[in-house]
Amino acid sequence: MKRYDGVAALDGVSFDVQKGEVFAILGPDGAGKTTTIEILECTRPPTAGSVKVLGQSVAGSQWPNEIKRRIGVLPQEFCSLGRLTVAESLEFFAAMYDAHVDAMSLLDLLEIRDMAKVRFADLSGGLRQRLGFAVALVNDPELVLLDEPTTGQDLETRRAMRKVIGDLRARGKTIVLTTHSVAEAEQLADRTGILNRGKIVALGTPAELLDKFGGGKTVVFRSGGDAVFGTLRRFFDTVSMDGSDVVLPFDRLRDLEVALTALVGRGLEVEVVLRSSTLQDVFLKLTGSGMSDTGEAN
Amino acid sequence: MVVCLAVIRNWLRSRSGLLYSFLFPVILLLILGSIYGNPGSPSKAIGQSTAIYFLPGLTAAFIMANGVIGLTNVGSELKRNGTLRRLAATPLTKLEWLLGNVLSQTVLAFVLAALMLILGAVLYNVSVLINAYFLVMLFLGVLLFYGVGMSLAGLVKDPGAASGLSNFIAFPMMLLSGTFWPVSSMPSYLQTVARVLPLTYFADGLRNSMVSADFSGALTDLAVVAVFAMVLVVLGARFTQWNES
Repeated sequence: MKRYDGVAALDGVSFDVQKGEVFAILGPDGAGKTTTIEILECTRPPTAGSVKVLGQSVAGSQWPNEIKRRIGVLPQEFCSLGRLTVAESLEFFAAMYDAHVDAMSLLDLLEIRDMAKVRFADLSGGLRQRLGFAVALVNDPELVLLDEPTTGQDLETRRAMRKVIGDLRARGKTIVLTTHSVAEAEQLADRTGILNRGKIVALGTPAELLDKFGGGKTVVFRSGGDAVFGTLRRFFDTVSMDGSDVVLPFDRLRDLEVALTALVGRGLEVEVVLRSSTLQDVFLKLTGSGMSDTGEAN
Repeated sequence: MVVCLAVIRNWLRSRSGLLYSFLFPVILLLILGSIYGNPGSPSKAIGQSTAIYFLPGLTAAFIMANGVIGLTNVGSELKRNGTLRRLAATPLTKLEWLLGNVLSQTVLAFVLAALMLILGAVLYNVSVLINAYFLVMLFLGVLLFYGVGMSLAGLVKDPGAASGLSNFIAFPMMLLSGTFWPVSSMPSYLQTVARVLPLTYFADGLRNSMVSADFSGALTDLAVVAVFAMVLVVLGARFTQWNES
């Protein structure tokens, strides 16, 4: 439980992550993802409840530094002292730990070695985030906490970071990452917890989530656009836009009949495709959030 | 030590930081030296070697400005952009961060003081006393204005507002604390204001210890600056956000 000024940001959130597992916290903006990560990284205490990281309680004031030695953290927007170079920034953070890995090998891993002498203030957002990822790994952590690591990043940065996450997974590191990209959770994580309005509304592997929550079908109205979306929105809260396509998950045939009748009634003719539900549909059904073209919640 | 070195390195690479910390005081020293060195200048009204008078005052004023304006700007920006929160997620403690910053400010203050004293000696033939009172006073002055800077950075959320507020505090204090002219030459109501400003005691303490060798006066100033420093450092530490408590 986490409250800010009496308002619950997290309420009854409960999950466990196994050693060597990649666990994604998937949720729309404002769901409580960052608060969850900040509690795990020992910079924000829970208002109530118990949280254990690497077997130690984050609430006990004597433990956080022991936990902090063993975790690596990448915030949503990594920042360092602006006039230190990339190499200096990495060495600065490395000096906070008793043991650390070779800085240059991390720059190689994140493909930013040629930026080693560039000042932090002169880096693009993507390069800053890659440096932040290198910093998160500088102490060879047992647990890596990544808060929306690829959100808003360019294609090259997303590719480099996903590759590193894959490498870490192969080396048996435990990773907890937050994302609002269903595709990212599906691609990177062993298990996913869907967080909505401060509550975990579903938890499991993609297959388990589909089994449990994706029982229905989905109808896609190709290039339906705003006219189709507006018409269906009056009948269904779960309708969303996927580019210019309009997506409607449904459980009963009667729902499909209502949708088609409404469209015919408005004189709207559109190509209709029926398909099985995906994790995106499950997410949509559970959170009510629409998706952007890239599969990110909005 | 790591924090201290990183902060100094970061500071020295800032053109505005260098300009403000070192070049600006030197330029002011040269301007004031030219004005007061002119025969028939207001130096006669002050009635003493004017370079000897304003050298400690300028040194005190710019140590104050580095703390109040410089640290407020840097501290509020590090808070806004999340650097402090990221550091808090490492094993670095808040105390280590604060001590590293105090150490870096102390180094910069001693470099500034040395620069001013060397220029004073070379350009104006000023000889000063370097003694324990002077060194302790310099350190306490750093602590005091470090406390002010950290308090403002911690209390004011918006970096722009924090910067404005720090300037609003620093410049009147610089003018009213006997930095450029003796407090006794100001109207009585401004003298009353000067008596509650910490810079008055800091500048006076430097003057008493390094120029006039009035050690009983220096001791009184030192005690006042020490009390101000203790209170403001505690407040600065209290207001610096690290882990959410």
